[in-house]
Amino acid sequence: MKQEHFVQRHQPEWIAFEHWLDERGESARKARAERRNWHGLSDADMPSRYRRLCQQLALARRRGYSPVVTDRLQALMHRGHGLLYRTPLPHWQRAAHFLLAGFPRLVRAERGCMLASFALFWIPIAVIFAAIQWQPELSSSLFEPAQLMQFERMYDPADPARKLGRDNGTDVAMFGHYVWNNVSIGFRTFASGLIAGIGSIVVLIVNGVMIGGVAGHLQAVGHGDPFWRFVAGHSAPELTAIVISGGAGLRLGLSLIAPGQRRRIDSLIHGGRRGAKICIGVFAMLVFAAFVEAFWSSISSIPAPVKYAVGAVLWALVFVWLLRGGRNAIHRDDEDAA
Amino acid sequence: MLDTYREVVTPEGVALHLPAAGPMPRALAWAIDFIVRAAVMMAMGMFLGVFGRGGTGFYAVAMFLVYWFYPVAFEAMWNGRTPGKRALGLRVIAGNGAPVGWLAAFTRNLLRVVDMLPLAYATGLVSSLVDPWGRRLGDMVAGTLVVHDARAREPQPAAVDTALAPSVALRPYEQAALVAFAERAPRLSEARQAELADLAEPLTGARGSTAVTRLYRMANWLLGRR
Repeated sequence: MKQEHFVQRHQPEWIAFEHWLDERGESARKARAERRNWHGLSDADMPSRYRRLCQQLALARRRGYSPVVTDRLQALMHRGHGLLYRTPLPHWQRAAHFLLAGFPRLVRAERGCMLASFALFWIPIAVIFAAIQWQPELSSSLFEPAQLMQFERMYDPADPARKLGRDNGTDVAMFGHYVWNNVSIGFRTFASGLIAGIGSIVVLIVNGVMIGGVAGHLQAVGHGDPFWRFVAGHSAPELTAIVISGGAGLRLGLSLIAPGQRRRIDSLIHGGRRGAKICIGVFAMLVFAAFVEAFWSSISSIPAPVKYAVGAVLWALVFVWLLRGGRNAIHRDDEDAA
Repeated sequence: MLDTYREVVTPEGVALHLPAAGPMPRALAWAIDFIVRAAVMMAMGMFLGVFGRGGTGFYAVAMFLVYWFYPVAFEAMWNGRTPGKRALGLRVIAGNGAPVGWLAAFTRNLLRVVDMLPLAYATGLVSSLVDPWGRRLGDMVAGTLVVHDARAREPQPAAVDTALAPSVALRPYEQAALVAFAERAPRLSEARQAELADLAEPLTGARGSTAVTRLYRMANWLLGRR
């Protein structure tokens, strides 16, 4: 069949299909609202029309028809393909379910990486802290003198009017700063794991050394009390979130080095999907931590026992949540279990 | 193969040709997006400056959102296009040709961290030069692809409306070349049309504008217009 006859014969079908795509394909909500006023190609016929179009495209290519026809058919087919095979929309109403059950399940599914990340983060903290108690001069090899002065000023027990843990800035300003700073660190800790896990390892150790250094120095110079009162509240969600995103980064690095029975690229895609899901949870944890840090931790008038009690409760809640959350989940996502 | 098409065979058994985009247009799109983001942040700065020191908190949150979620939100909600990509005629799609989802958009933009290393997207550049479909590392991990948007071409009416049978039987690729000439030549200058038509002198037996017209008529015959 000559090209021109082929076009003449099928042109009305293509125009009807294109019209359907323009009018009905853009938004499902709009399509539902206007279904009574629609008199073109019916929605139920769309898949069969699409398959017909695919067949016509294959035929047109086989017969060597010119790009005018094949490009047009391919463009129509691509639009139909996008509608029929698109990624399912996220269930926003299930966000709470994901945070309470799905996220802890994802974290527990990677317990090996999470434990490794935990060790990479907490061992430097403990070692540096202990070392500075033993040899207080060590802190000056970690930080500049000006930085040390600043830390001491931020947690000065002789200045009770000062808000804990900050130089200046209002609660809201510090909240914004913590969100920007901490969530960015969390995301970077995960993403840099793609370099065979090395990036995550470096970020975890460096952050561990820094935190251990600050804590050790303040404890050694006798500013420990305001410091511990400050960090007691938000440390649970914040430090745990960094450990979790480090674990997700290690997992991503492992899927590059040891893809197992998948192809390397498929293993990376799998690791990336799970890692990105974990990052959503990390994001929520860090925003919560920033909120606590800005509006609760900095209040210096609250007595130490209350602060420590709240801190202990938050630590307990985080661990119970991560260890027990989603244990009896009814709606198990296939992917979570995988 | 010089073409950077990615061929995806759909469940219907027909190949979709996805024209992958190289690093240059993508870098330009990124630059446009960068300017848009900088402009948004400047406007936010001026607006929030009114609120004094509390405003810096909102500014930091806005900076966080613009830095991390500007591309994610646009790609997921605007059919795979940020304003920069739209200006350059690019689009992010899933590797199977479907529109990109929220999770994939989030993943590919999280991993910009690695593509940016050590500076100025050097890793992403090397990766997209090495990969047959110009993907940066973030695209590989997210399973996505940046493609050129198909340009809609209006079907042109035939340049002449008579048909002429070629004097000899033409092979399929010769027929394809003739039809391609007839479809594309109207957009070329007269001199260029004549220059190309002269190459087919053994077939047309003429030169100059006569040859052009004869080629058009033969293409009409091949396409079945009589």
